[in-house]
Amino acid sequence: MAAITLNNVRLRGIVSCVPKATICNLDASEERRPERERLVRNIGIHTRRLCYPWQFFSDLARSAAERLLEAVDWKREEIDALVVVTQSPDYPIPATAIIIQDRMKLPTTTIAFDINLGCSGYPFGIFTLGSMLSSGGIRKALLLVGDRCASIDDPIFSDCGTATALEYDPDAPPMAFDMNSDGSGHRAIILPVGGHREPTQMHHLIARKDENGDLHRDVDLIMDGTAVLNFSTQRIPPALRDLCEYAKVPMTSIDYFVLHQANRMINETIRKKLQLAPEKVPSTLYDFGNTSSASIPLTMSVRLRDALTTRAATVLMSGFGIGLSWGSCIVRMDSVVMPELVEV
Amino acid sequence: MSEAVAIESQDVLAFVDQFALAVDFQNPVPVHGDTRLTDLPEWDSLAALGVIVMCDTEFGVAITGNDLKECRTVADIYARVLAKKGG
Repeated sequence: MAAITLNNVRLRGIVSCVPKATICNLDASEERRPERERLVRNIGIHTRRLCYPWQFFSDLARSAAERLLEAVDWKREEIDALVVVTQSPDYPIPATAIIIQDRMKLPTTTIAFDINLGCSGYPFGIFTLGSMLSSGGIRKALLLVGDRCASIDDPIFSDCGTATALEYDPDAPPMAFDMNSDGSGHRAIILPVGGHREPTQMHHLIARKDENGDLHRDVDLIMDGTAVLNFSTQRIPPALRDLCEYAKVPMTSIDYFVLHQANRMINETIRKKLQLAPEKVPSTLYDFGNTSSASIPLTMSVRLRDALTTRAATVLMSGFGIGLSWGSCIVRMDSVVMPELVEV
Repeated sequence: MSEAVAIESQDVLAFVDQFALAVDFQNPVPVHGDTRLTDLPEWDSLAALGVIVMCDTEFGVAITGNDLKECRTVADIYARVLAKKGG
């Protein structure tokens, strides 16, 4: 898609919610400690959040949404749309957004549906709801984004659910978007079993040692690390330059570049290629890991709370990953409502 | 060897240093142009990512995972970088 501008849409508030349970990537037996230190040094991820067995993405998202409704002072009957961006639905079907509509006691007039995207998902969610709001056909909408993707063994992923309030406002500054897809890379990050093309069978549940000596089952996520690294570091820098050019916003006048938090190697390479100062590129990798589609709102919640709640700032957000898919947007934010991080 | 590079050249020596930094060995390991990648104690997925990042940021060249699989020695990687840079 070519770049596109949305008018009349205001990003009113953001709340992020993480599980209280913390896991440290350095926790290992004494003899494996140097190996773990090398890992942490390179991926930049020290601590992650992990859902308890009874906690799900929808619980985190709902906690964030309840806190957000209270903070922006919206009434439930005013919510016209609820869109969920997740790859951790409560069930394969029906859509988690519809289940949350009921659990939050939102009216049955609420439009509710899910979008199946991961790390790139946040800009796509804003774009989808923004397009619905822009005409004024609907006035208030909630975007719930995130995943329950952490496991004890995998050192990258971390759990988080977020809620973003978007509203129709003719005085809002324009938002500029650039969204892209390249399905030829769909095997770079894939859960290959459990869908219609490859239904789960008994043999898929048997764990085998992979090339790194770790146990892997066919029902576990597969990630081609080098392909994802090449994709992210080759595609994103030119995409961000092009978006700035389209929006007629020089890179130097962007206050913050909030990138999907993939890992330190990917994020630092993108930052260096764009020659951006570290203070303009906030990071939550060390404390919260890769929280999939939640990483952009989470990073704003915990790193930019002072900056975005007290003054105006121009923020460029960029999500990239599974699909392959990448989307970016430039949003002028002014006095956004951002309550403290919720921990449940 | 089709991608032969004079292993004693200064450029290769400099590349070997950058390679060693990128792999981030837990303990110092002697590395030379003709060192076989599979003989290294830490030629793992993390090392591959580090080397790809180094080739990108230092040489402006996109080396892929497949490129690395086709390389036998450190000098082979350097030859691949030069070939891509020239091409």
